Amino acid sequence: MKYPEPISKLIDSYMMLPGIGRKTATRMAFFTLGMEKDQVQEFADNLISAKTDLKSCKICGNITTEEICPICSDKSRDQSTILVVEQAKDIMSLDDMNGYNGLYHVLGGVLSPVDGIGPEDLNIKLLLNRLKQNQAVKELIIATNATPEGEATAQYLAKLVKPAGIKVTRLAHGLAVGSDIEYADEMTLKSAVLGRREI
Amino acid sequence: MFVKELKLQNYRNYESLDVNFSPAINVFLGENAQGKTNLLEAMYFLALTRSHRTSNDKDLIKWGSEFARISGTVIKDNSSRLKLDLVISKSGKKAKLNNLEQRKLSSYIGNLNVVLFSPEDLSIVKGNPGIRRKFIDMEFGQMSAQYLKTMSQFRSVLKQRNAYLKKLQHHQAKDMIYLDVLSDQFSAYCAEVVFSRLQFLQKLQTHIEKIHANITEDNEKLKIVYNTFFSTDGKSLENIYDTFKDNFKKNYQREIQRGVTLFGPHRDDIKFLVNEKNVQDFGSQGQQRSVALSLKLAEVELIKDQVGDYPILLLDDVLSELDHKRQTHLLSSIKKGIQTFITTTSIDDVDPELVKDPNILNITNGKVQQEEI
Ligand SMILES: Nc1ncnc2c1ncn2[C@@H]1O[C@H](COP(=O)(O)OP(=O)(O)OP(=O)(O)O)[C@@H](O)[C@H]1O
Ligand SMILES: [Mg+2]
Ligand SMILES: [Zn+2]
Repeated sequence: MKYPEPISKLIDSYMMLPGIGRKTATRMAFFTLGMEKDQVQEFADNLISAKTDLKSCKICGNITTEEICPICSDKSRDQSTILVVEQAKDIMSLDDMNGYNGLYHVLGGVLSPVDGIGPEDLNIKLLLNRLKQNQAVKELIIATNATPEGEATAQYLAKLVKPAGIKVTRLAHGLAVGSDIEYADEMTLKSAVLGRREI
Repeated sequence: MFVKELKLQNYRNYESLDVNFSPAINVFLGENAQGKTNLLEAMYFLALTRSHRTSNDKDLIKWGSEFARISGTVIKDNSSRLKLDLVISKSGKKAKLNNLEQRKLSSYIGNLNVVLFSPEDLSIVKGNPGIRRKFIDMEFGQMSAQYLKTMSQFRSVLKQRNAYLKKLQHHQAKDMIYLDVLSDQFSAYCAEVVFSRLQFLQKLQTHIEKIHANITEDNEKLKIVYNTFFSTDGKSLENIYDTFKDNFKKNYQREIQRGVTLFGPHRDDIKFLVNEKNVQDFGSQGQQRSVALSLKLAEVELIKDQVGDYPILLLDDVLSELDHKRQTHLLSSIKKGIQTFITTTSIDDVDPELVKDPNILNITNGKVQQEEI
């Protein structure tokens, strides 16, 4: 038997979400049918609003409702460091920890020729212009993921930026806090040793 | 280590099977095309998540079925028991260790070690370099999860670099700084892979030399040599890295013209020298066969060194092919208490002097019947 069109279309929509298969999508669709009408309205409004009311910050590429995001507008932040991340959601995780009070820059991905992503597809030009215009920046901290593509992107940025006399650092990768050396795999140990710091 | 129990579901011509094995010698006896090799393949796959016969996992699913399942219980030398479980479906394969799903195959492979002997082993010596590379990658991979991880990252970096060279070739990109970055990164992985291979080969060398001298009654000295575009003799990891790096720098134009990475372990080879001569070019059929046998026997010893347990041995149709002398050498390994599986169409091929008290399993059309002992 085929479902009536409105629900089968809703199932198809849920299936567009990452990690959602037909079974889960069907459950979600039927759950939606059982929701109050104003709840469903709010749900739909939120979807639209997230897409239409958000733009990317003109300076750093972060998601924001204004032209310039709250982080870039906050003059009390340390203006001499920029932390470079792959995605805007990484800013949330990093800024929530309260250990960093500088600025950010969102690349919008990593270099990956296989997926057709080259330097011009990332917010790299924006970053270079930003460094040129803002001589206060002394250090770039690159926080791309520890994947081969994340590493290559970090190296690439370093090569572009270092000649301008800006210090480039990489987020340390290594042992997880509270983890036991005995159970760490070789690669983790290796990068922990390479990324050691003086105490 | 030994496989205590094997369960199959919708696998090849087995709809459902649950069979227990002897920790010593098991003989799969049956006519042609009944499913003897399929059983060996199932154990090979359970260990390495790859078949020795096909690169398409879906071939293992019983015709008309949606998925295949292979599970086994392995007992290790320290008497711990391990449950391995693999499900193959159209969307891929899932591996579980003691019911825990393993996200990465590199954390699954290596828990059961196997060495397969089959008439096709000769192609490792006679065949093209790709066969030898596949052989060393599979075999070193089952001894070292680290090697598997390095290989998988190596392959993904190679893919990226090739994709970028294609772009440069077609003038869809021109950033040479990025090519530098990709080349340096790729050089580091090349060095890592080549260096690990050299270390494994060196260990394999000590075993193979002894074994081969034994098989040939001290007439032949067998040496394995790693073959790449430069001499690796006495080079450190750092040296190898620098050599790759410099070499890529010098060959950018050639690589861009071809749109592909022209150097690296994916193009390397190993050579077998018998009394200093390449056996692939100068060896007789018999000499080549002996080299293949020595190689597999050396691998058995290397696995014992590296992982602490002997692997299980899978002997597919080899006894009928080997002369008495080579058969004796092969079966002398079994004396060490290694679990062994032998396929044969006739029990007469199995010398009762060499194979004592085998557990005989009759295979007919995807069904197994255990002979009462
Ligand atoms: N995916 C599959 N589904 C069902 N049957 C299959 C599948 N793949 C192979 N077979 C069947 O399995 C049989 C081959 O089994 P196998 O290779 O184990 O034979 P064997 O007993 O080793 O024979 P031989 O002595 O000739 O080597 C063939 O009859 C083939 O039709
Ligand atoms: Mg067979
Ligand atoms: Zn901003």
